[in-house]
Amino acid sequence: MAVDTKPKGNFLEIIKIRKSFAGMTALQDVSLSVPKGEVVCIIGPSGCGKSTLLRTANWLTPADAGEVRLNGKLVGAMPDPRSTSKQARDLNAVRARIGMVFQQFNVWPHMNVMENVVCPQMVVGKRDRDIAEKKALAALAEVGLEDKKMDWPDNLSGGQKQRLAIARVLAMDPVLMLLDEPTSALDPELVSGVLAVLKQLAEKGMTMIIVTHELGFARSVADRVIFMEGGQIIEEGPPNLILRSPSTKRLQCFLEKLNITAFKPKSDVANHRAIKSDLRI
Amino acid sequence: MSIDLSIFINYGPQLFLGFLMTIKIVISAIILGIPFGLVLALGQRSRLKLVRVLSASFIEIFRNTPFIIQVFMFFYVLPFYGFHLPAAYVGIVALAAFGSAYFAEVIRGGINAVAKGQLESARATGMSDWQAMRYVVLPQTLPIILPAMTNQTLSLVKESAVLSTITVGELTMAAVKVQGETFRPFEAFIMIAMMYWALNETIAIFMRRVERKVSNRSNSGLASRTALADPAVKDR
Amino acid sequence: MKFDLSYTLDALPRLLDGSLVTLKLALLGFAFSVVLATIVTVARTVSKSRIFGTVVAVYISFIRGTPILIQIFLVYYVLPIIGLNIGPTTAGILALTLNSAAFVIEILRGGLASVAKGQFEAARSLGLSGFALWVKVILPQTFMTSIPPLVNEFTQLLKATALLSTITVVELMRVSQQIYSNNYHPVEVLAGAFMMYFLMCFTVSRSASWLEAKFEVKRA
Repeated sequence: MAVDTKPKGNFLEIIKIRKSFAGMTALQDVSLSVPKGEVVCIIGPSGCGKSTLLRTANWLTPADAGEVRLNGKLVGAMPDPRSTSKQARDLNAVRARIGMVFQQFNVWPHMNVMENVVCPQMVVGKRDRDIAEKKALAALAEVGLEDKKMDWPDNLSGGQKQRLAIARVLAMDPVLMLLDEPTSALDPELVSGVLAVLKQLAEKGMTMIIVTHELGFARSVADRVIFMEGGQIIEEGPPNLILRSPSTKRLQCFLEKLNITAFKPKSDVANHRAIKSDLRI
Repeated sequence: MSIDLSIFINYGPQLFLGFLMTIKIVISAIILGIPFGLVLALGQRSRLKLVRVLSASFIEIFRNTPFIIQVFMFFYVLPFYGFHLPAAYVGIVALAAFGSAYFAEVIRGGINAVAKGQLESARATGMSDWQAMRYVVLPQTLPIILPAMTNQTLSLVKESAVLSTITVGELTMAAVKVQGETFRPFEAFIMIAMMYWALNETIAIFMRRVERKVSNRSNSGLASRTALADPAVKDR
Repeated sequence: MKFDLSYTLDALPRLLDGSLVTLKLALLGFAFSVVLATIVTVARTVSKSRIFGTVVAVYISFIRGTPILIQIFLVYYVLPIIGLNIGPTTAGILALTLNSAAFVIEILRGGLASVAKGQFEAARSLGLSGFALWVKVILPQTFMTSIPPLVNEFTQLLKATALLSTITVVELMRVSQQIYSNNYHPVEVLAGAFMMYFLMCFTVSRSASWLEAKFEVKRA
């Protein structure tokens, strides 16, 4: 049974979003309301629409119907009452306050680490270079990359690239962060590094929406977990509640399928590391 | 058949002046044509349908008609709009217009080759379409399009010979004059053929060096693959 | 001065005739070019002679490094000196053939490379060799994979025929010049010719996908 979240005038309001791709419905009248400071994790099988939903939050994927509001201001709507140029201007302004982190990192390879973090500040935030660089150093320190500031993205590991992407977002002083499977493209041993950074941010009170497969992370960090399937929200609630005792059959099936692969006992991870150190001779 | 080598010596300077004119014309055409090609390439991605249609039409028209007829069209049409330009300038405009259609296609290919995520991440920071293109996407197209842009430039060098038909004093025109005076077409034309050939080869070799330098800088993949494979690379 | 469409319309019949000449020239040039290029490609692949290989390479480099106009002039003005007195049309077709063949050789080289090596071995093991091997097995596949670049090359030829106007061949461009030198309305007449070139080239380049479908080009 789909849960209908009525808009309560919250910080982020996603209202009745409908989206189809080539005849296939990705989102069916989905609504989501996020108060400030909340960390929401969206889970679900692939193709359920969780990434699409996330991307409507900053209108990166425009919806076919519905609207999105951030702090009362319109981010995007279909149909949109504003003129096309006003839409574009407002959208760019609002996106500057929303930070998005992608599964494929999308760091910019033609700039070094420092420049990646400085560029959006200067181009979008219209900051002077010295201020931008100061903020960049602070952001890089927060993610643990300050000694890599002159490196080139090609020389970074996947985890470091993702942390660079996070730093690039942080330097813009976002009020909301959207993360689309931030660790799915990482080698297993690099995942914890990124998750630690995200946990830190959550503890500092950042409003975050994270699409993820990492249920352990969801359990430790999320205030609310949302389970989606077939373009609809099936169940939602505090992680400890719905992940331990799901009230819908579909969530139950999903969790059972994941349990086989996701929850590796700690000993396996230790073995994995040991094998690698053998090769290090 | 005898080859009169004195032609090469006596008329060398004349031909060389024509050669310089060819170079001047081609450089001017590129200076005009590449930016306009960029405008066309971006125009094809515009949100406004009219801009998209105009850009695509311009490109199709200039790619599907012979350059010589484009030259004549410019030659006869420009005066009607008040542009009474000397032949060389008409030639530059025609060559630039012709070139821009091809440059546009190369640039478009380059933009499409840059991963979609790059554009998305730039837009997600709040950059406008143009800012995203300028700071994130277009710089990455540079090493990708360099070979094809070089080819197009070489093609423009060869097409410039057609400008002799509207009496622009470039290399081919010079050869035609020499042939008219000496009645020795072989010497005249083979000499300029060699000059075109040499010019093309020089540009090609030079650009290959530039390509190597540019692609070394954005050495995508190799370095990161090496880093990930090394167990000594720690994450924190 | 205003654009007077009546001049364009009046010129149409003669322009159409010119277009037919253009098409004929392009088709002949392309046919000869493909034949020549095929022979050279097969010879180059089969022959062990380094001299032959070098000659072909130099020829291709020359054609690709020099303007077509100069190549046309060289054929037209220089051949009579050697004693070959051929008319402008023949000279024009010859120049176009020699030019196009260089590009077709490169196209076929690419197409040949994409024909899996296993094809050679499979055919040989079936007892096919020499002429039959090439004609029945290798060349058909080479051509099928090369349809888009070959169609593009034909379009290039169509456009190149306009340059033959400079050596007095009466094709579409030359016809236009003849007409407007009489009625002093170059813009209207050229516009008509322009349209015809566009229609010809545009139709041809759009036909590449249709051709591939017709020959059911399958990639194994």
